[in-house]
Amino acid sequence: MGRPDEAGAPEETSAPEPREGEGRPISRRALIRSGIGALAGAPLVGGLAAADGLRRPPGRHLRRRWASPDDEIVLGVSAAFSGPSRALGTELYRGSMAYFSHLNENGGVNGRRLSLRLLDDGYQPDPCVANTIELMRDDSVFLLFNYVGTPTVTRALPVLKKFRDQQVYLFFPFTGAEPQREPPYGEFAFNLRASYRQETAGLVDNFLAIGRRRVAVFYQNDAYGRSGWAGVREALAAHGETIVGEATYTRGTQFDSSMRDQVEVLERRSPDAIICIGAYAACAAFARDAEELGLHVPVANVSFVGSENLLALMSEGRSDAGSHTRWLVNSQVVPSYADTSLRAVREYHELMARYDPPPPTPDQVARIVENEEYETVPQSFVSLEGFLNAKLIAEIIRRMGDDPRRSRIEDAVFQVRDYDLGVGERVRFGPGRRQGLQRVYYTFPEDGRFVPLDDWAARFGA
Amino acid sequence: MSARHEDELRVRKLFRKTRFGFAALFGLVVLSISALSIRTVSRELRDEYVGNSESIAKNIADSSVDILLNRNLATLQSLIDQFVQIQSIRYIYITSDEGEFLAHTFVPGIPDQILESDPSVNEPVERSIPGLGDFVEVGSPILSGVAGNVHVGMDLELLGLKIQRAVGQQVYLLCIILVVGVLATLWLVRLASRPLAQLLGYTTVLAHSRQRGTTPHDPILGRDDEIGDMARLMHFAAVGDPDGDESEKRPIGGSHGRG
Repeated sequence: MGRPDEAGAPEETSAPEPREGEGRPISRRALIRSGIGALAGAPLVGGLAAADGLRRPPGRHLRRRWASPDDEIVLGVSAAFSGPSRALGTELYRGSMAYFSHLNENGGVNGRRLSLRLLDDGYQPDPCVANTIELMRDDSVFLLFNYVGTPTVTRALPVLKKFRDQQVYLFFPFTGAEPQREPPYGEFAFNLRASYRQETAGLVDNFLAIGRRRVAVFYQNDAYGRSGWAGVREALAAHGETIVGEATYTRGTQFDSSMRDQVEVLERRSPDAIICIGAYAACAAFARDAEELGLHVPVANVSFVGSENLLALMSEGRSDAGSHTRWLVNSQVVPSYADTSLRAVREYHELMARYDPPPPTPDQVARIVENEEYETVPQSFVSLEGFLNAKLIAEIIRRMGDDPRRSRIEDAVFQVRDYDLGVGERVRFGPGRRQGLQRVYYTFPEDGRFVPLDDWAARFGA
Repeated sequence: MSARHEDELRVRKLFRKTRFGFAALFGLVVLSISALSIRTVSRELRDEYVGNSESIAKNIADSSVDILLNRNLATLQSLIDQFVQIQSIRYIYITSDEGEFLAHTFVPGIPDQILESDPSVNEPVERSIPGLGDFVEVGSPILSGVAGNVHVGMDLELLGLKIQRAVGQQVYLLCIILVVGVLATLWLVRLASRPLAQLLGYTTVLAHSRQRGTTPHDPILGRDDEIGDMARLMHFAAVGDPDGDESEKRPIGGSHGRG
């Protein structure tokens, strides 16, 4: 697209008639192809991932033709599409694409399609910085969206400050760390999810409430791990306690790595509970080794871990998966995707089933690490978060009307003061409030998926 | 074995001590220079290491003040993660003014030696940590210590490797000089000993000739140097005025530029 500031009003027609200068009308099939295929090669990934025979919402019969780049709003994404944490970037993308596909097929936002420009950082800080600079220099990028990870985002924030004149904001990064919530970089980002501080405080409060007062931390030795560690430390301090032990691992550790050293380090401190601040591969390896070495205490993970991927790794090829994962408890920042009493969850189910967005192809995003084939997860907390991120960013852009400009983004966000996203908690933003949701949910594995945990004492009582 | 060859061997014996002396002298020079070089390079590299560590520690300490005061430990961790990528830096840790570890780079955990140390001590210390290696650690106070301390551990094994490499190159060069020097000396000694052996051989022949009453003729009498002079002198002393070919009529102490 050209600069969104310069974009004219979109043309909407009720029939696929040719535009001036066009040779033939654009069919739905062509639209689908162009959405996924042509844009992917750009590498703009269009949101037209539809299939024939889609059910349209009642009363929506307008068909949009995306012939002009001015009809498009591009969201820049740097995330992990390769490496050990690729499931996070991929599932977050899939959740967002489910909503964008639906949205674009039904007229977009104020007549403009939302598309993603994808760059892979492999969950590594330096590529993320390079990607962010590239996106900032791309005039077509309207805002930054769906970044994944604390070590990456932490390093990208100064880039936003450097290019502050361009007024490009980072929306809804998949991290609960504090740097994008506090000065000096908080003003350049908007968050939807609750913070790690809130997640870890909730975990600590619940453990202490059931008499598990000796809390240890296993964490990724980087900014993400430190952010969670700081949250645990602060929450314990509020109760007059301290972290009884800590063990670390190096970012990028795979599931087949041994975590016995870490388990032994913590075992010497006799913890009552362990809070893990890590990615799914390493946390699954740690939980596996803790179980095998007889460290039978609750092992809690925060939302970033990617619960389904963690559970899949721990359960793979095991007949005793239930007992093997019995000590797991994960905090989440979105409600359970099984809770279909919530409107947003129902929409998520419907659109994920309808579009089943595939992972980005190598044509759509150049991966910095070659991986084996990624197997998608039908539903997950991560893709639900991506879905909610997409839903809210669309609403914010919608509030900017026919004249979306970067300079008006902040005002548009601050208009969202009591928005019902459909998750049972209203979204609120304001000048002093750059995080939309506050609630934290707790889950445990049961029958191959994480379900809400209501009674901590019954499950983990000391 | 001919009598002349035996004479040559005898002369070589004469220079054996000289050759040995030269080799020993060169060896001594090489050893002395190597020892001095090892000492100098080790000291300078170590000083440079410690100096760099202190600069890095001070840099982190200066950069950490606002971050620490803002309680932004994730950014603090991000900061030290960047520094630890520098080659030879093996660990960094930051403690609060109360000695609490606020950020570090240890995996799988903080070693007991570090946990038990006094973080307010900022003088360079050498540590040997089982499983990790040997380190020289320097510290720097944050805000004069009221906000905490930064400690940087430099890998002594890597320092040792660097010293070995630097010294090794110098010793390698010196060894080449030693070998070339000894070979050159041997060649020069051999060059000097050969005419002496010829002279000795001629003297022997001359003695035998006198016993038989004959007059020996040898090309050495035609040499235009001190050896030729000595041969002609001996010949004159033994048989009187030579009356052979023209080469034997050279004057003793002739035109070879004697001083």
